[in-house]
Amino acid sequence: MSKPKVAFFDFTCCEGCQIEFTNYGDAAFLELLNHVDVVEFREAMSEKTTEPIDIAFVEGSFSREADRARLESIRERAAIVIAYGQCSASGGINALKNHQSDYKQFVYGADAEQPQLDSQKAQPISAAIKVDYSAYGCPVNKYEVLQIVAHLLHGKEPVIPNYPVCVECKRRETVCRYDEADHCLGMVARAGCAAPCPAYGVPCEACRGFVDHPNVPALEKVLVERAGFSQKRAADKALMFNANDLEALS
Amino acid sequence: MNHQCHWTDVENIFLPREATIVCSEQATPSETHFTLKMADGQPIEYEPGQIVELSLFGYGEIPIGIASSPTRKNTFDLVVRSVGRVSGAVTKLGKGESVYVRGPLGHGFDLTKLRGHDVLIVAGGIGLCPTRSLIQYILDRRDEFDRFVLFYGAREPSLQLFTDDLARWRTANDVEYYETVDRGDPSWTGNVGVITTLFPQVELGPETRAVICGPPIFYRFVVRELDMIGIPRENVFVDLERRMKCGVGKCGHCQINDKYVCVDGPVFPFADVQGLEEAF
Amino acid sequence: MTASFIRSDDFAAFVTALIEAGPVYGPVAKRSRFAFERLETPEELRLDYDVTILPPKKLFFPPAQDLVTFDGAGFRAALEPTEKVLLGVHFYDVKAIDQTDLLFSERNYDINYMAHRETTTIVASNIQTVSKRAFFASVGADVEPQGHDAFLTAINGGYVLETRTERGEALLAFGAFQPATEAQIAEAAAVNVAALERCPEELEHGTEAIADKVRAAFQDEELWTTLAADCFSCGTCNTVCPTCYCFDVQDTWNVDQTSGQRTRFWDGCLTEDFAKCSLGEGACENFREERAARFRHRLMRKATYLNEKLGGPACVGCGRCSAGCTADIADPARVINQIMAS
Repeated sequence: MSKPKVAFFDFTCCEGCQIEFTNYGDAAFLELLNHVDVVEFREAMSEKTTEPIDIAFVEGSFSREADRARLESIRERAAIVIAYGQCSASGGINALKNHQSDYKQFVYGADAEQPQLDSQKAQPISAAIKVDYSAYGCPVNKYEVLQIVAHLLHGKEPVIPNYPVCVECKRRETVCRYDEADHCLGMVARAGCAAPCPAYGVPCEACRGFVDHPNVPALEKVLVERAGFSQKRAADKALMFNANDLEALS
Repeated sequence: MNHQCHWTDVENIFLPREATIVCSEQATPSETHFTLKMADGQPIEYEPGQIVELSLFGYGEIPIGIASSPTRKNTFDLVVRSVGRVSGAVTKLGKGESVYVRGPLGHGFDLTKLRGHDVLIVAGGIGLCPTRSLIQYILDRRDEFDRFVLFYGAREPSLQLFTDDLARWRTANDVEYYETVDRGDPSWTGNVGVITTLFPQVELGPETRAVICGPPIFYRFVVRELDMIGIPRENVFVDLERRMKCGVGKCGHCQINDKYVCVDGPVFPFADVQGLEEAF
Repeated sequence: MTASFIRSDDFAAFVTALIEAGPVYGPVAKRSRFAFERLETPEELRLDYDVTILPPKKLFFPPAQDLVTFDGAGFRAALEPTEKVLLGVHFYDVKAIDQTDLLFSERNYDINYMAHRETTTIVASNIQTVSKRAFFASVGADVEPQGHDAFLTAINGGYVLETRTERGEALLAFGAFQPATEAQIAEAAAVNVAALERCPEELEHGTEAIADKVRAAFQDEELWTTLAADCFSCGTCNTVCPTCYCFDVQDTWNVDQTSGQRTRFWDGCLTEDFAKCSLGEGACENFREERAARFRHRLMRKATYLNEKLGGPACVGCGRCSAGCTADIADPARVINQIMAS
């Protein structure tokens, strides 16, 4: 039986999630190649494909109308489309610009009128095409991606947690950031990363997005009362990776 | 520090046994009817209404009520509705392939409470599957029971399960069978309406023992009918469905208030669960 | 069983001898908190800890535990328990272990938990520092801790070790123990009684009165909605609880795509999907969809549902949930006292 064909595509992003895919180390990466046939992956190879694909990993957000046709062509050719990384899954960090109007002048000055800067709101790729599953995170968690691939190879729907990062912090007995006079977004952040940041003493920034029903008012309250944030800072704290979701919730 | 340990001698309740698919039949567009035989030749011993945890390695386990009577030896039936990871994978399997089962688990129908009495079974949708274990049992040991009345409701004719059984029951003398569908189709000449529309069609006495199994909304309306007949609630038995993940009363997912459906049930006397706020 | 005394100067050698004989777990410092970890040296052992982040249940019921492994050739149990000593368990955690022992062994004996229990020698120890949210003195006060092999109490100049079982008695061979005097035994008893006086929080009513009134409050929707308003459904109160033992089971494949494992993970009834079932065609039924219903379920479990089976409440007053809840709404003492006062 031929191996499933896997391809990677990128839109508005840093391509770091694709790099993450090459970080398994030789043994796991080469073992994985026994089970899938990577047909397009510009971070690691020069070939391209116009053939049908079994699994398309699409990185980056949908931020230019001009990209719609390419997304649609991927969708037409791919049996399964995975929004790969937070930019693709929710708009991610790119969505920070969505509530700004002055950034072009501010950032690019005299070059502000260049045509490639003429972008629309940064949206998840699901704003343009149907997405089957999402690999969350900035960057994705490579071990979770390995499980997603394993599940799909067996025709099983991937298991993506809908519980917050607190669950994973507690499972590994991490000292809570709030117990060390710090702040954290772990209570509303989707788990699946195994909570590495708080384990190293760094607050969770919710880079995998929110759980399905985040208690955002309670988050703001805790950030104000326990972390000493101003109301404004508390309200904006989760924007970095969740600007689109916060807008939808408000 | 060496101590006498007996852990290696104790049966591991999470180790399943292999079963072979003897027959697999597409019952409805989303449901498959399997007949299984234990691979080691040792049949499982169960009571009507008990469940098994059905699994495929790599996919997981799901609780399924046994859909055949222990009076039919050597094999047992399960109907699997393709709704998730495990059921989706299992329903792709065919004759001769292996699945894995743990069980039987839980408490089934208390036959001592039903024998010697009129029995009414009210089944809705996939609720016909676990109750079929009791239906077959009664039909196989017909003289142990008095009158036997069976109500079955399905959403539409194409979603009716066990169509061979239904065809037999419609004309049989050993069961008074009544059926309805929520929505008919051009070929349907039977009753159309919710399950409660069957009650006026048959005379039932307050001594009847009643068994109910159906979707969550079903129970409240059926019990109201049974109340009107005057059937005491301790003579009403309900077969409940929850997320029975471990099947052995540990994992907590199937709890209704303080009851674990997988070990305290899935069959309960209605009187024992009617006061549980989370039951219906 | 016996009561023995070991001098402070000889204690490190005792712990060293235990470590040399096999794995020893005890409370150690973890940043600003404490955790039960495998000891490398006696100096790491912090018997002056207040409370650990996770209770000792993690040694018997690990956060992720393989139940079955499988490959192309078949499947087998994954259980491989090892003999170990668990040192320095506070009495409230012993009471919690008693509960999980019962719950994992009753009806369907779960060897995946019980084997780890059977291979562990538990040495309880007195509470030297009381944690800031503890209420262990007033919850299930008449329930005695059972499941330990010996009890260690720090007194002036050393420790009294009271053995409870043969396994506990066997520990005496590892240190320079001598029979404890009547005065030393009395001093140890006084130390343990004094710890009960130092709880910062307390339940203001008895077990049965609480069980009745909390149960009767079930349908007070406004109460539960208010109590759970700031709940994140994060499950921290479940995860850190020494008497919570719910779990999820998931199968995963290894990278060879043939072998894999069936693993149970700690789960919590506060998380959103805990009671969710799929019905097909994208539909599902969540039997505890509202966070208030989940918050209520946990409190019912702790204060009423299991009391008859356990002979007391399924809470031991360790205060871990109270301290771990970022929104600070989980404190059973506070919630129960509020319900009782209403």
